Amino acid sequence: MSQKEPPRNYAVETMALTKEYTKKAVVNHLELKVQEGAIYGFIGRNGAGKSTTLKMLCGLAKPTSGEIRLYGRPVNDPYAARRIGCLIESAGLYPNMTARQNMIMKAKCLGLTNHSTAGHHSSAEQGLEDTVDKILSLTGLSGSESKKARFFSMGMKQRLGIALALLGNPDLLILDEPINGLDPEGIREIRQLIQKLNEEGKTLIISSHILGELSKIATHYGIIKDGILIEQISRESLEQKCKSYFQIEVDDINRALPLITEHASGIRTEVYDTRTLRLYDLTDGAWLNQLLVEHHIQVYSSGFHHMDLEEYFLERMDGKTT
Amino acid sequence: MFNLLRMDLYRIKRSPSVYICLAILLSLSALCCWLVWLMETPDGRQTALKMGMFELEELAELEAEGNALADMDLLEMFRDVGMDGGFYCSILGIVVALFVCMDFQSGYIKNIMAAHRNRWTYVVSKVLTAGFVNFLYLLISFGFCLLMNFLSHLVPFTSWNNILFYLAWAWLISTAFTSLIIAICIFTRSAALGILGTILFGSGIIVTFLSYLTNLFHLGQWADYTLYFNMTYGPSVCTGIGDLKVFAIGLVFMALYTAAASIALTRQDI
Repeated sequence: MSQKEPPRNYAVETMALTKEYTKKAVVNHLELKVQEGAIYGFIGRNGAGKSTTLKMLCGLAKPTSGEIRLYGRPVNDPYAARRIGCLIESAGLYPNMTARQNMIMKAKCLGLTNHSTAGHHSSAEQGLEDTVDKILSLTGLSGSESKKARFFSMGMKQRLGIALALLGNPDLLILDEPINGLDPEGIREIRQLIQKLNEEGKTLIISSHILGELSKIATHYGIIKDGILIEQISRESLEQKCKSYFQIEVDDINRALPLITEHASGIRTEVYDTRTLRLYDLTDGAWLNQLLVEHHIQVYSSGFHHMDLEEYFLERMDGKTT
Repeated sequence: MFNLLRMDLYRIKRSPSVYICLAILLSLSALCCWLVWLMETPDGRQTALKMGMFELEELAELEAEGNALADMDLLEMFRDVGMDGGFYCSILGIVVALFVCMDFQSGYIKNIMAAHRNRWTYVVSKVLTAGFVNFLYLLISFGFCLLMNFLSHLVPFTSWNNILFYLAWAWLISTAFTSLIIAICIFTRSAALGILGTILFGSGIIVTFLSYLTNLFHLGQWADYTLYFNMTYGPSVCTGIGDLKVFAIGLVFMALYTAAASIALTRQDI
């Protein structure tokens, strides 16, 4: 049976996904591919189309054209819907109900009963109440279960939103800005929770502006700009692209580049702009400076750099390629 | 759909607005019964006289006019107290508008719609929940009217056949009205507009005004097929097959508004 399956199973796959509002495409022919078991960091500026894309994945917005497949099934397939848990934008909570009541409401909405709530990781006898308690505890809300949602802080609301998304033991979690409003300790707890869920086999799509935090957990990234997915990249590829390099700014790049390649074999070079060169796999830069000066090439600046996700993202947003 | 119904029933039990509106409905029913007792019964008139509500001359005039309750029975009193003027529908509509719009205002609709891709089930569940609340409201209101009458001996009892006939079609018509309110709430996603719609349609302001305008051109017959006119002027006794028209009207409007709300919700993004 496994021989017939494609080599990579996608939890989410979109084909030419497009969403238009008043004839303007906010998501434009998106070809998103999220592998099962991945933590997919979905990055883009405000208004880039992240939330709209995630809403379409959750069935909250209807695509203008294109197709979405969740675990190989169409997005409107009820079986596919049952495998998804989502937190889109702010957590939707009834303010006059307690955290526990909000959870029980969602459990009833999903059709969970006292004997059906136990996921395949839990014992079958576990009841609905126990499951609710367990998830509240997992998200750090066990002490606030009887508190009405309207008295919750922003961070607590986000936690409850994640707890609601976890009900029904979904295989795919779609979290839009899950760490918004959380304090540093809360962010760490949610990060650990996400990692734990991923270790259990869940696939996660996370959109966040806190790129430093995202880079700690994501295994894959998708960068969206003006509704267009400009890049999908794995963590390994990103690390390869973001590894340390020696950047040197000279007055005549046409003379400097052949000179460097002649004297430094095995070093990958990259012309960044008309005056700047980047050299990868270089351990010492002093001799290079000396070499250029000896050949009467002026060196304006030089030094080692390490590009992080934020820098890479900003560079991609500016339209530069690496 | 039954999962959504379970969820809605769980929430409706915990909605303060359901109990507040029921209390308002019963309070005003009690006030009406008390005023009728004061105005129309010998004991009541004496009490009113002692309270200074009448002067002796006014009391004599009232007694000369006779008893307005003479040709009234329990069912007629129940209808006059709360049902026929549109008060009941307005109160019920407010409960439903608050209940439905809270899904949108709180954002909980995202949790629901992510799990239920068929949006018809959402609307049907809301209509069923409204029908359940309506059923309880009608029973409690009628039971309360029965109690008031038992305590004050205002009017004679009606036959159970007539009561059941009336309560059945009144439930259907008022549930159809709640489906209109659900449709308005889904279109507008605003509790304020939902309540405004409830008051305008429930009290018959719009239907009466349009009926008046079209009557100027002898085109007012359409009003006989509206929910408001049927609620107000519908039969208390089933005398023939023509009296079953109210059931057909209730069913048609319920289906129409449910379909309209479902189509609107299907086309809208959440």
